[in-house]
Amino acid sequence: MKERHLFSELESPACLLPVGDSTALLLLAMFVPFVLSVPKYDLAGVIAFAAIPSLFITAAGIPFTPIMKRLFIASPFILFMAAGNLLLDRAPFHSIFNLTITGGMVSATVIMTKTMVTLTALLSLLSCIPFHRFGKSLRSIGVPEVFVTQLLLVYRYSFLLSEEAGMMQKARDLRSFGGKGKGLIVTARLIGSLLIRTTSRAERIYMAMCARGFTAALHSRPAAPLTMKDKAALALSLVMFISLRLIF
Amino acid sequence: MHMADALLSPVVGGTYWAVSASLIGWSAKKISRESDGSKTVLMGVLGAFVFAAQMINFTIPGTGSSGHFGGGLLLAILLGPWRAFVTLASVLVIQALFFADGGLLALGCNIFNMAFFPAFIAWPFIYRTIAGNGASPARLAAGSITAASAGLLMGAMSVVLQTTLSAISDLPFGTFVLFMLPIHLAIGIVEGLVTWAVLTFVAKTEPSLLTGQCMPYKRGFIATALLVAAMVTGSMLSLFASTHPDGLEWSMAKTSGKTELPTPPETVHTLLASVQEQMAFLPGYDFRRQNNPGPGSVTPDSPVNPGTSISGLAGSLMVLMLSGSAGFLFKKRSSHTGGS
Repeated sequence: MKERHLFSELESPACLLPVGDSTALLLLAMFVPFVLSVPKYDLAGVIAFAAIPSLFITAAGIPFTPIMKRLFIASPFILFMAAGNLLLDRAPFHSIFNLTITGGMVSATVIMTKTMVTLTALLSLLSCIPFHRFGKSLRSIGVPEVFVTQLLLVYRYSFLLSEEAGMMQKARDLRSFGGKGKGLIVTARLIGSLLIRTTSRAERIYMAMCARGFTAALHSRPAAPLTMKDKAALALSLVMFISLRLIF
Repeated sequence: MHMADALLSPVVGGTYWAVSASLIGWSAKKISRESDGSKTVLMGVLGAFVFAAQMINFTIPGTGSSGHFGGGLLLAILLGPWRAFVTLASVLVIQALFFADGGLLALGCNIFNMAFFPAFIAWPFIYRTIAGNGASPARLAAGSITAASAGLLMGAMSVVLQTTLSAISDLPFGTFVLFMLPIHLAIGIVEGLVTWAVLTFVAKTEPSLLTGQCMPYKRGFIATALLVAAMVTGSMLSLFASTHPDGLEWSMAKTSGKTELPTPPETVHTLLASVQEQMAFLPGYDFRRQNNPGPGSVTPDSPVNPGTSISGLAGSLMVLMLSGSAGFLFKKRSSHTGGS
């Protein structure tokens, strides 16, 4: 079952990062606004920023196919919006060999490229950080303990419940004929049943966790503070992003 | 309904990041004050439940297509606003960071659109008003469908506003609204029907699960929800404020040829007009302009004027503070008279 492996690649990181996890997240948080600040018709500016995730992927040897699959799934709304620009903005922008390139063609390409660049950077970087380290780095940049505990619990139990939901759906599909039995009410009862099982599971989990000393949060230890190397990497990257933005 | 990074300007994305981060911080503070470990675990497992429930598809009657459950309103009903908000936000964070739904900068917008509205508006102000304690099946159905649809419509409208403010897409505001709202109304009705059916099933099978849902309104909660709504409305919708004269100005222009009457030459009028001009920190719903505007200043032709936006925001806050102070004064006075 495909859904069973939703998070499987996150358990073992695809690469080792040269900087701390918190620094990597901060770098990503800096990189995305720089890419998105590129003007609507500036294709060269976005392509210049594409160099950074592509360099990272090739240097770290991160497999590109899973990233491409996720980009493909994430793109329908973006495709629709880009198509809107393509159809609505028909003002001539440039001409090459008697072929008129409209403003819509350029802005639609910029939208698609921005999506590719930002999401590739996000997915490739996070494929290098296992989830427990991700939680720790969030704590070290000031995210509340309650929220980090919540993220870790959602991540942990998504495996189990996705498997259970998959089995329920398969059982329903095997008992339905000609589409009958897959309707809204039957599915709502399945979801209700899953909800009841989930809450009773939560009670059992809570009792087991209490027996191990749990109070109200997981109290994950914050990651180590930023080192000089991390600070230097942040400063250098900031200079590089500003330079890219000014030059292209 | 996930907003995407590429359709956002850094300013709009950053603003919504700040709003959503503040709401997460506020909700986390509320939750940690309660210090209830069993609910912490329940939140985590229900977040995973939303993921799992979204995997179960169902056939949408009359269309031949299939859909899945969203779960925002159900979480608000089961957990209350703060816990539901944090749970929904955690699901959206995992979807954004590990499944590329939207992106990093769009995360703030997505949390606001898909977690704030169901948790802080649809559940307390719509669902609870209509459904009450959930004892009447008709009221439960009406509450579920109305609240789910309203939550989704507000989220969809917010997507349109964020896209328009960012000015990356060329889709006109009206066309985008006409495209987004009918689709999300249909999705909302289906979401409401599933929520109602799930609640009915749970009420029959495990009624104890739904007993804790009717906690009383707290004044601070209502004030904060209204404050956030006022701030977002004031700062965002004011960008679309009409530049045409209002009704009074229009009739004055028709009768006298001018939208504003000249100040009479008397000293008192001139003095008061001068004082007003000096005191108004956003004259004419805009920033105070220098005589020689700098090269980076906003041109009058710009469709997006930050001065108007700040005026809307400041106006909302001032009205809120004034009405709050007035209410406080009235309360003091009435309690004083009542006591004498």
